[in-house]
Amino acid sequence: VSAALAGAAPPGAASPPRFVGKIDPLLILCTVALVGTGLVMIYSSTHLSPRPYEFLRTQILHLAVGLGVAGLLLAVDYRALAKSARVLYAANLLVLAAVLVIGRTSLGAQRWILLGPLGQFQPSEMAKLVIVITLAKHFVERPGPYRSVFDLMPFLGHVALPMILIFKQPDLGTALVYGAIFLGMLYAGGARRRDLAALTVAGVACGPLLWHALKEYQRRRLLAFIHPSLDPLGSGYGIIQSKIAVGSGMVWGKGLFLGTQNVLRFVPEHHTDFIFSVIGEELGFVGGMVLLALFLLWVYRGLRIAAVARDRFGALVAVGIVSMIGFHVFVNVGMTVGIMPITGIPLPFVSYGGSALMTMLWATALLLNIAMRHQKVGIGFEVPPGTPARVIRRPGGPEPLEE
Amino acid sequence: MDHETFERRLTVLLAVIGGLFVVLALRLWQIQVVQGEYFLRLSEENRLRISSVPAPRGLIKDRRGRPLTFNQPAFTVSLLPTELRNPAQVITRMAAKLGMSPSEITAKLDAAGDHPFEPVRLRRNVPKEVIAAIEEERMDLPGVLIQVEPVRQYPYGTLAAHVLGYLGEINEQELQGRRSEGYESGDLIGKNGVERTYDRFLRGRSGQIQAEVDAQGRPLRVLATVPPAAGNSLVLGIDLDVQQAAEDALGSRVGAVVAMDPRDGTIIALASHPAFDPNLFATGIGSEAWTNLLRTPLQPLLDRAIQGGYPTGSVFKIVTATAALELRLVQADSRFYCPGYYTLSDHVFHDDMAHGHLTFLSGIAESCNVVFWTLAQPVGAKNLSRYAHLYGLGQGTGIDLVQESPGVIPDPGWKGRVLKQPWYGGDTLNTAVGQGYVLATPVQVARMLAAVANGGTLVTPHLAAAIVSPGGQVLQRIAPPAAGQMDLRPQTLSVLREGLAAVVTRGTATSIQIPGLAVAGKTGTAENPRGKPHAWFAGYAPAGKPRLVVVALVENVGFGADFAAPIVQRVLQTAFHLLPGGEMHP
Repeated sequence: VSAALAGAAPPGAASPPRFVGKIDPLLILCTVALVGTGLVMIYSSTHLSPRPYEFLRTQILHLAVGLGVAGLLLAVDYRALAKSARVLYAANLLVLAAVLVIGRTSLGAQRWILLGPLGQFQPSEMAKLVIVITLAKHFVERPGPYRSVFDLMPFLGHVALPMILIFKQPDLGTALVYGAIFLGMLYAGGARRRDLAALTVAGVACGPLLWHALKEYQRRRLLAFIHPSLDPLGSGYGIIQSKIAVGSGMVWGKGLFLGTQNVLRFVPEHHTDFIFSVIGEELGFVGGMVLLALFLLWVYRGLRIAAVARDRFGALVAVGIVSMIGFHVFVNVGMTVGIMPITGIPLPFVSYGGSALMTMLWATALLLNIAMRHQKVGIGFEVPPGTPARVIRRPGGPEPLEE
Repeated sequence: MDHETFERRLTVLLAVIGGLFVVLALRLWQIQVVQGEYFLRLSEENRLRISSVPAPRGLIKDRRGRPLTFNQPAFTVSLLPTELRNPAQVITRMAAKLGMSPSEITAKLDAAGDHPFEPVRLRRNVPKEVIAAIEEERMDLPGVLIQVEPVRQYPYGTLAAHVLGYLGEINEQELQGRRSEGYESGDLIGKNGVERTYDRFLRGRSGQIQAEVDAQGRPLRVLATVPPAAGNSLVLGIDLDVQQAAEDALGSRVGAVVAMDPRDGTIIALASHPAFDPNLFATGIGSEAWTNLLRTPLQPLLDRAIQGGYPTGSVFKIVTATAALELRLVQADSRFYCPGYYTLSDHVFHDDMAHGHLTFLSGIAESCNVVFWTLAQPVGAKNLSRYAHLYGLGQGTGIDLVQESPGVIPDPGWKGRVLKQPWYGGDTLNTAVGQGYVLATPVQVARMLAAVANGGTLVTPHLAAAIVSPGGQVLQRIAPPAAGQMDLRPQTLSVLREGLAAVVTRGTATSIQIPGLAVAGKTGTAENPRGKPHAWFAGYAPAGKPRLVVVALVENVGFGADFAAPIVQRVLQTAFHLLPGGEMHP
């Protein structure tokens, strides 16, 4: 794997520098397959409702808007994002705080901001991407080496602020996603293993404190995860029914649109957070494996882009995005099969929901952007930020590019 | 960090994420391949059923802890729409067994809407024999569900029926927006009385049972249960003995009695006759019984104590006297002459008798109309209305019951607005003696008397005294704040109290004197267009240090002193334990 990751050209190897690398076709293929699966499964899980095309149509609308913005993202050099990191970070905090003040409460949590005719918007989804970008920039500004756990504290503060705001919504799941992004980027950014371990241990030790900060329903969900029969109609019910749905799919599944558990509304939230239970039931073990393989391929391509990124900023953004997707998939699928608690994290690209879908699309666009502009020469990570290692002049292009 | 380390770390990240995916794959293998058959069976038969276990409703008790309600387990027959494989046949057979019409059952199923996994209750409190008959044919009746549910019982029947209220199935409108509070369709909720006002405390929280059931829908194995949480008890200020005395004293006459503690507004007894039997409603009242209750001319569902607006007659003289005293138009010993009539321009108003020379105090005691007609003009219609409102007339008292009537206190503006007629001098005279357009409920009058008795505080009447947990712990004491404080001069209060005491010692109500208890009060005989006058008596005792206000109203019988005063006397005797011995009520 290591060899594959390292890319075709080892650092320093002579290869013709090209400004625009190739668009990663495998990543695009994976994304298209996942989004397509999502659309089909959203239709499958809602086609027996009074308005069968409602959810599908809305999701396609989200997809169209998301793709439009993603196209714009591709056109701009991703390094422009690094320059506006501070503004992004501040704006992000403002929006998250605004959710707490004016946000719409749904299912006991304040996560939404109404945007008039555009429907509602869940800023905490977008915020994940903003955190990835701004944290990557932060790493570039503080290049290390990180010799103690205290050297990591600025980064912890960087993530903790939005994390607390999101936790207050309350959105435990998304707050945990931040944790995963943080750890992934810290590791790739060069933190020492023992410092990472210390942070993780400290985080786990904070668990009992967090327990008190949780809302009643969140505690019930966690307890129900440990002991489903405590809350048979509520969260425990969802876990049991979701397991029955997935399990009953057996090896080949009941067939597309032929699921019974989800259609009969045994499984709650079956088109959003629990969409994998529809996939498990209708497409079986085989379908589940194909889906996981698609995600794994996606993750692999993402990490490969990180390996060949032209600068540390791009590389770390790629790692952050991959950590986010990987964690999402594990927690979401784990929840539907009863090995993770219910935390309301959607399945990337697949679950119904505009904010999440768009965020994932833009994350993909960002990865493609990084891949497009990669230098096959690789990068020296020791180079301090702000000092151009070399100035490349594009043939015919006026502006020098720093790396 | 060099690039090589970075790439190594990327490899580790890939391995970690890949490892997590392998965990997922293993888990999927376990439940889909290894245990797949088991889950498939569960899903195909869909043998998991969740049923709700209704919580026992909290008891309602009187002030000394004597329960006024019980909960009795009884059978409820329901249909589970999702398992109704042969609806036409099952509905016909169940209709026959339960004594309902098939269309009634269909209507209930339709009303339940789109919740195929929630049982639809057909009938509560089904007799054992019918249950046995259903059980015998269980195999042919898929989708029929028999549950044991507590049924509300009111051991005293019609006693305090208007206070307690009754239960009924929640309707669509009431369900709107209350689902989040745990209300579900088919729930019985309080529809009237304190059952309604305090429903959210009494109802408790339903439990749940998740069970695996067989093809006939019989539970095989309980997978999980959440026991129901019983509702909290409601302790009322009502004293069962006093309530009983009030209803006995009222007897078969149409009217109402209110007994209230003037110090804090706690209602000790609240009776209205005729009443209804809340047991009729406890299991969902049949449409026939309901129409009967609605059509009876005497309107048993009407709570006359709080919903009946009556002309008050001479009881209103308390307002007129207060206004005259506060405006310093009279004193206790102001002298009047009553020739038996009063002339206003060319109209002559006749009193019952000629009282001759008398003081203002005697005017109250003997309820001389001429005295109050004389005062009517100088006081004026506006002041009469103002003081009536200060006493809380013309507005709801805020008692913890629903649909209270505000009554009517007329003034020139009101008459012009409502009747589109000008105000005449005679209207002022009529108002001054509680006739004409004046309407008040017995509980409003009780609050007015309480204000005289307690020195001008407009208490908020309330039936409930405390909410008590099933374990007996007092969760909440109910003591609503006073609605206002009248700023009366001490002289005014003392003349009023002296006058009301004189009513019993030497005035119109000497017949109700109780040895050992000084009673003060005012009679009222309210002329009305529907026949004989309404009889009123509003009094309090002990006159020196009032602890109980009692108001009695009897419709269309005659003099207040003859018909209402004895009821008040009887209630006071019971409340102060003065029937046989002489022991005072605590």
